[in-house]
Amino acid sequence: MTGLDAISAANGWAIAVVGVTIVFTGLVLLSLAISQLHKILQMWEDRRRLMEQVSNKWKPRLQTEQKIESAPNAHDIKETAKQAKILVQFIGEPFPLPKLLELSGSCGIFKPYSTINALVLNKYLIPDGRGYYRWNSDKKI
Amino acid sequence: MTIDAKLIEGFNVFRELDADELKKVAELMSPMSVTEGEILTQKDKPARTFYVVIKGNFMIEFEGERAFTIHEPGTVMGWSTLVTPFTYKGTAVALTDGEVVEMPGNRFYELIQSDSGLCDKVMKRINRIIEERMPFMKGELTGSEQKLTE
Amino acid sequence: MINLIMDFINNTGFALMDYRNLVMMVIGLVFIYLGIVKHYEPLLLVPIGFGILVGNIPVFQGLGLGIYEDNSVLHYLYFGVTQGVYPPLIFLGIGAMTDFSTMLARPLLMWLGAAAQMGIFITFLGALALGFAPNEAASIGIIGGADGPTAIFLTAQLAKDLIGPIAVAAYSYMALVPVIQPPIMKLLTTREERLIKMEEPRVVSKREKIIFPIIGFLLCCLLAPAALPLLGMLFFGNLLKECTVTDRLALAARTSIIDTVTILLGLTVGASTQANRFLTWESIKIFILGALSFAIATASGLIFAKIMNLFLKQKINPLLGAAGVSAVPDSARVVQMVGQKEDPTNFLLMHAMAPNVSGVIGSAIGAGILWTFMTR
Repeated sequence: MTGLDAISAANGWAIAVVGVTIVFTGLVLLSLAISQLHKILQMWEDRRRLMEQVSNKWKPRLQTEQKIESAPNAHDIKETAKQAKILVQFIGEPFPLPKLLELSGSCGIFKPYSTINALVLNKYLIPDGRGYYRWNSDKKI
Repeated sequence: MTIDAKLIEGFNVFRELDADELKKVAELMSPMSVTEGEILTQKDKPARTFYVVIKGNFMIEFEGERAFTIHEPGTVMGWSTLVTPFTYKGTAVALTDGEVVEMPGNRFYELIQSDSGLCDKVMKRINRIIEERMPFMKGELTGSEQKLTE
Repeated sequence: MINLIMDFINNTGFALMDYRNLVMMVIGLVFIYLGIVKHYEPLLLVPIGFGILVGNIPVFQGLGLGIYEDNSVLHYLYFGVTQGVYPPLIFLGIGAMTDFSTMLARPLLMWLGAAAQMGIFITFLGALALGFAPNEAASIGIIGGADGPTAIFLTAQLAKDLIGPIAVAAYSYMALVPVIQPPIMKLLTTREERLIKMEEPRVVSKREKIIFPIIGFLLCCLLAPAALPLLGMLFFGNLLKECTVTDRLALAARTSIIDTVTILLGLTVGASTQANRFLTWESIKIFILGALSFAIATASGLIFAKIMNLFLKQKINPLLGAAGVSAVPDSARVVQMVGQKEDPTNFLLMHAMAPNVSGVIGSAIGAGILWTFMTR
């Protein structure tokens, strides 16, 4: 037997309706119970509030100490900055930092990544606020 | 290998977590050393791991070669691991040798099932980072000073 | 000697195999592929996929190798499936790893978990209409609960012969939640609805979390005692997790126990899909009904959320309704994904966990009810 007859013969309509109703009843009852739970507990808590307020602890937050690796010394930086400035002039300003990094590598600048990092940390290279960088003309080399 | 919770305590992204929660997160993380020039995330590749800087200097490059550098511990890289469509939005490269802690995205999602409140706190922080970095990805910066330190 | 060699050749898997075994092996490989490459429920699809390979190596009957032979090792392992031992143990683990706090913070969202169970009962009617016996129809309907262990548990009680196709259908669709749900979610919601941001949930105290599994157990199991094996273990596992003094037990339940049982269950369910039992018209009908039940469950949750919004001052994002199908936490992740496509700053994930975990409870109650009705 198939179709609606099969459903009726197996009492399917009634089973489905009663089934859905029981699932709903179960979860609705549970939701009602737990929606009141915190209020009941709050009432219980309030009764003892004075006693429990004693144990407030202040826990100082530990700051993670971090030392940024020391940048190259002043002489090295100035030497590197001279080379980098030529590259910046070649690219034009504002310039993308990855482009400078790429050119530094292909031009044989020693440790291009940490060199560029040192130039940023020493403010030879400054962000233009749009995701690109400029040469800081206030810096003397 | 997991990490000591103290290592990530005080980081902005975990600021709202209490000691127990911090411990749970730390258990899912593992330390990783990086060397200068090492690429951590690659733009448009599937995002499966996110990183938190412990020490070192990094650069993240976005569309159109826009980039910013990271020098602060606690900065998050690879947040795309936690949001759709789970592909990295930028390429993160180490400018110097350094240390990061890594967390696979699927472990974070397991944590959602076991402690959704904790994840909610972290996701809210991540959300702020996304809002902050969104202009970078879309090239909509107005020219004000970059403050991408989280 | 030639006779011996010929005997050996005739008894190899190559000689005994027919095209149906090959079809099943391809299905097994697809499962393994989806698990490993696509990361779709790898913890389930990899064991089931490999189990399908195991079950479809043609073996010489009488040697005690096949899963349906009384004296085989696989048969003993399969006992946990046919007698409904594994699903409650998996529920114990789920309870020990699930945080119900989002549900406790907004109990109203539980109703979405109840609404999504419509899929179970509508599919039950569909299966009856297609000519399945009532006990088989009930087992097929439970696929709509999107809960593999519940589907296996009920089928083990009501229609043992259908365990293979029903388990494989249930787990396949659970793995395909990210593919099945989004189109239905987009179809049934407007952009404005998908942009709704949920209000901050309240903080749930530890005491509430400890009391909840006890209240939940008493209420649900007094109402539907047949759900006792599943819900009893679910709430017990959750009590172990939350009560803080049984950390070791909770840890065992959510790691070694659930992992061991998942391996045994996945492998034996996979192995039970021997081609001659699995590749039938009934299986195809079960797969079609399974897909339908997932779609109906998703749609029911979404529509019910929209109905709730008619009466609520603080509207809820109707996408949350889709998380009412259990599939924890995948359907919650899908809600997050679809919501975030409209607004990257909208975080629905935690809110979606509420209907998601209530869906687990709802589908277990549904299974209990069907079991009761079918055994009367």
